[in-house]
Amino acid sequence: MKDYTKDRGPERLEPFFPNEMFRHTIVSCFLVVLELIAVSIFPLPFKVVNKPDNISWFLLPLYKLSKLVHNELLFILILASCALLFISWPFLVRDKKNKMLPIKNAKGADSCHILQISERRNLWQRPILFAVVILTISSMIQLCFIKL
Amino acid sequence: MNNKHTGLINNENENENKSFLRTLIENNVTRRLIPKGLSWFGCMGGLSLVAFLIQVSTGIFLMFHFVPNERGALDSIHNVTHNVPYGWLLQRLHAIGPNIMVGMVISHMLRILFKGIYKHPRELHWVSGACLLILTLLIYYTGSMLSVGNVKAHSGIHLTYIYAIHVAGIPLIMGLFMGMHFFMVRTTGICEQL
Ligand code: HEM
Repeated sequence: MKDYTKDRGPERLEPFFPNEMFRHTIVSCFLVVLELIAVSIFPLPFKVVNKPDNISWFLLPLYKLSKLVHNELLFILILASCALLFISWPFLVRDKKNKMLPIKNAKGADSCHILQISERRNLWQRPILFAVVILTISSMIQLCFIKL
Repeated sequence: MNNKHTGLINNENENENKSFLRTLIENNVTRRLIPKGLSWFGCMGGLSLVAFLIQVSTGIFLMFHFVPNERGALDSIHNVTHNVPYGWLLQRLHAIGPNIMVGMVISHMLRILFKGIYKHPRELHWVSGACLLILTLLIYYTGSMLSVGNVKAHSGIHLTYIYAIHVAGIPLIMGLFMGMHFFMVRTTGICEQL
């Protein structure tokens, strides 16, 4: 288990119990209340799946896609490759920067080495990736509204 | 003498057990220190877990009443909702909860995507998490097929198979992936950048 106390002083730490436990309990209660409200508001989802009105919101893009792509094999191939891309995302978008860093060699003399440093940046600091993600999300939303 | 001796050993064992438990609790709960000011958005992963646990517990209840074949499925659901005390509540919770769970999992994923938390050393967190998202969608899909009478006409698969996948296959794999997911988060520690 990671020890958080190693690289920061007591002013930047807080106890897990009761502080964090309390927060967890509060948000869990919030979730239960949310589900109870949803149960009392929405009618029973209890109909035939293969009709668009009863497809839930997050399966709707997939359903529409399955109707657009007539070939079943092609549809499954598309789904599988999307899943593969999604799963391997961190390996596809590594942002490594080449930096020249002085590193002491065995004799103690400074020598310049190229070090690959992976630097963490927010997605919006990387315009192309950001555009790819936004385009993907918006095309999924658009798929939902396509009339077949 | 001998008895006393064994008694002592037992006592020692007891003490050892107690202290092991105590150190476990102290290390993990009561004396554990965590970084200050974690984002409230960081709760989404935990909430996905809570939503999953609600599904498991309501699902186990429903298993006692559900008849997993084409002819009995719809009637058994009607039976749960109308004849079993609080059956309506648990059935609806189990049917509506997944929508909320998927919402939680997707917002957890989006937070990690937009903040770039999936990068080294957390690539495998993402991989296990992404598998969990796909499994969540699959379990939703198989579950929604169970409340459809003539599922065979739609998919050509027996309801019994779908039921087995829904109640045993996918949950077991999800449990496995969750175990890996949590183990990895514990090892690298929570990401508190930005
Ligand atoms: C059933 C689904 C899931 C459950 C129950 C779950 C649960 C959790 C929990 C409890 C944490 C630690 C606290 C937090 O940061 O929220 C976590 C962290 C993480 N999860 Fe998930 N998760 C799920 C799905 C996903 C998905 C779909 C992804 C991404 C594709 C993902 C990627 C990550 C990553 C990268 C972390 C590390 C965050 C950090 O270090 O701060 N998880 N998950």
